Amino acid sequence: MRRYHLVRRADAKLNRTLIYYAIGLLVSLTIGAILLWALGINPFQYYGKMLTIGLVGNKYGYKSIEGLLKVFVPLLITSLALSLSFKMRFWNIGGEGEFLIGAICASIVAFNSSGMPNFVTVVLMCLAAMISSGIIGVAIAALKVKFNTNETLMTLMLNYIMLYVIRYIGDTKADWNFFLREDSERPIFGSFPESAMMGGIPLGKFKLLWAVIIAVLLTAIVYIYLKYTKHGYEISVVGDSAATAKYAGMGVGKIVLRTMFISSALIGLAAALAVSSAGTISDTITNDVGWTGIIVAWLSKLSVPAVFVTAILISILQYGCQAAATQYPAIDVNFADLLQGIILFSVLVADFAANFRLIKKEDAKNA
Amino acid sequence: MLDVLTLFLFNIIVYNIPLLYGTTGEIMIEKSGSLNLGVEGTMAIGAVAGYLVGARCDNLFIACVVSFIASGLVGLLFSFLTVTLQANQNVTGLTITTFGVAFYYFVGNALSNSPEGWPKLSGTRLDAQSQAIHIPGLSDIPFIGKAFFSHGILVYAGILIAVLMWLYFKKTVPGLKLRAIGENPAAADSLGVNVALYKYAHIIVGSGIMGLGGLYMGLNMGGTFEGSNCWINGYGWISIALVIFANWSPAKAILGTFLFGFFNTLRVQNAALAYAFPNALGWLTKIPSHFFSALPFIITLIVLITSSLTAKGKSGEPQAIGRNYYREDR
Repeated sequence: MRRYHLVRRADAKLNRTLIYYAIGLLVSLTIGAILLWALGINPFQYYGKMLTIGLVGNKYGYKSIEGLLKVFVPLLITSLALSLSFKMRFWNIGGEGEFLIGAICASIVAFNSSGMPNFVTVVLMCLAAMISSGIIGVAIAALKVKFNTNETLMTLMLNYIMLYVIRYIGDTKADWNFFLREDSERPIFGSFPESAMMGGIPLGKFKLLWAVIIAVLLTAIVYIYLKYTKHGYEISVVGDSAATAKYAGMGVGKIVLRTMFISSALIGLAAALAVSSAGTISDTITNDVGWTGIIVAWLSKLSVPAVFVTAILISILQYGCQAAATQYPAIDVNFADLLQGIILFSVLVADFAANFRLIKKEDAKNA
Repeated sequence: MLDVLTLFLFNIIVYNIPLLYGTTGEIMIEKSGSLNLGVEGTMAIGAVAGYLVGARCDNLFIACVVSFIASGLVGLLFSFLTVTLQANQNVTGLTITTFGVAFYYFVGNALSNSPEGWPKLSGTRLDAQSQAIHIPGLSDIPFIGKAFFSHGILVYAGILIAVLMWLYFKKTVPGLKLRAIGENPAAADSLGVNVALYKYAHIIVGSGIMGLGGLYMGLNMGGTFEGSNCWINGYGWISIALVIFANWSPAKAILGTFLFGFFNTLRVQNAALAYAFPNALGWLTKIPSHFFSALPFIITLIVLITSSLTAKGKSGEPQAIGRNYYREDR
């Protein structure tokens, strides 16, 4: 006979959740510190280095901010996009694959754009990426709606198929392959012509790329879309219960298709902005945002403002580890992933503690 | 010419048995209704833990036990989070992969930069124990002997595990109860099956089996740590694909391993085959190696779609897969 009994808390207080999450974060950082200490590294120094992302005492500090923003923008948009689909319990884990499709299609435009006006090219790149990624997203959603094919596994396969497609493009010297540099014997991805490069607003030495502004605006739009439009309401009803949505007369299939199109198209947009900001494409262009985005979306409990904040924090973690890696040879950038994993595990525990409580069996009977 | 074919068959087995470990481990977990996307990370942790302790003790058996336990602990973490704490399985599994692979690099980099360095495999007793065993009679058969009966103990163990698991699912009462949980946990619960206990036990054992596959990969790579490439090298993901291809059957997983292994080996050995049989197989060199790499995933995608088009009854996919079981929701 089990003496204890789990009960879902009736009230989900934001304060309590935040406190538990903060404790979870603190515990993870402590575990990280113990690991660092075991390697003979002063954790405070390392964390200090990481959190300041190489800004302190650096003449080229503005470059660090630019670098951080290049990590942040694709991660933020991808996480937002994934939250949209997760909200209706559609497990789109194909962020990597959708990102790569978008990146490839945007690059096709970019490599053939010499002489075109910059604004037109970048808009065309974004459109190409959004449409191509969106179509793939709709195709997967259609299979799910029509035949109940497992979307988690489909999108997982997509990630790897696309990874090998981009590697194939990057490794194959051929006449048709305009992705590669012509002046190199070895296959290397070429650089975009000037027309396809992301512009920005110069602020002294620092250049604020349009991509950053677009990403911030997009956050606001997605927030309004989810909170104040009929579409947003429909997404949350489908997520709570597809059956309820059906009985309420909503076309569940249509909602799923539409939302998956938006979700994948946004990931495509993230890819277009990323390749345009980088000025080239590569098989590591995704920077794992398809995976990290899932973690960000989940840490944020799919809330848009929280996604924004979490994406900043995770970007600092990742970029900071890169910056710190130059000083600590024994620790490479994977330490960011390790910490990210520990943080998510702790937060899952914290989330549980915030939503459930243990009560004794007898009390349950009396209550 | 026959040598090329023998080597080809030999390599299919020797390089792809880890897929069988990953797949059978994942089948055991998925049959309990849980989808664990952390195969890659679970294998990585089993590999690094088993190898390091095994190298220190210089004993293969200890290495196996340690990697089973280490990966089993990862399984315990997964079950604790998803079964007891009701966390989302996709997110938990993916995080285990991120965490596990990062753990591999963390330990590897730390040891490589330390004064003792990363332990070497060549020339140790551990190395000798993991080498091919000579089976009198069988190993001496021309052609077949080299291809099928000149392998290390872990190759045979992998196949044995798959066969035993197949028997376990088909012929034993616990196996039947496990499958019932995967199909409908509420129904199994109402018949008095301890759902949580079954899930915990099978997730832990399944993860442990994956760990052995990871250890095998490490030993097969000569035990050298490279900063840029993880030992597991995507085999965990292929294993997840293979589970679908094998229709959740450990017996079919053996066949699937050899089929996926066939493509995998073709990718590496296409030049050798084309050279040995220029007329018949000369076209092989024209196919890009990336195509063979992507083929397991393409095939699996097709299988996924076609099997969902046909009658659901024939599919071995557990109906409750990916969904947590919470009694109060019943």
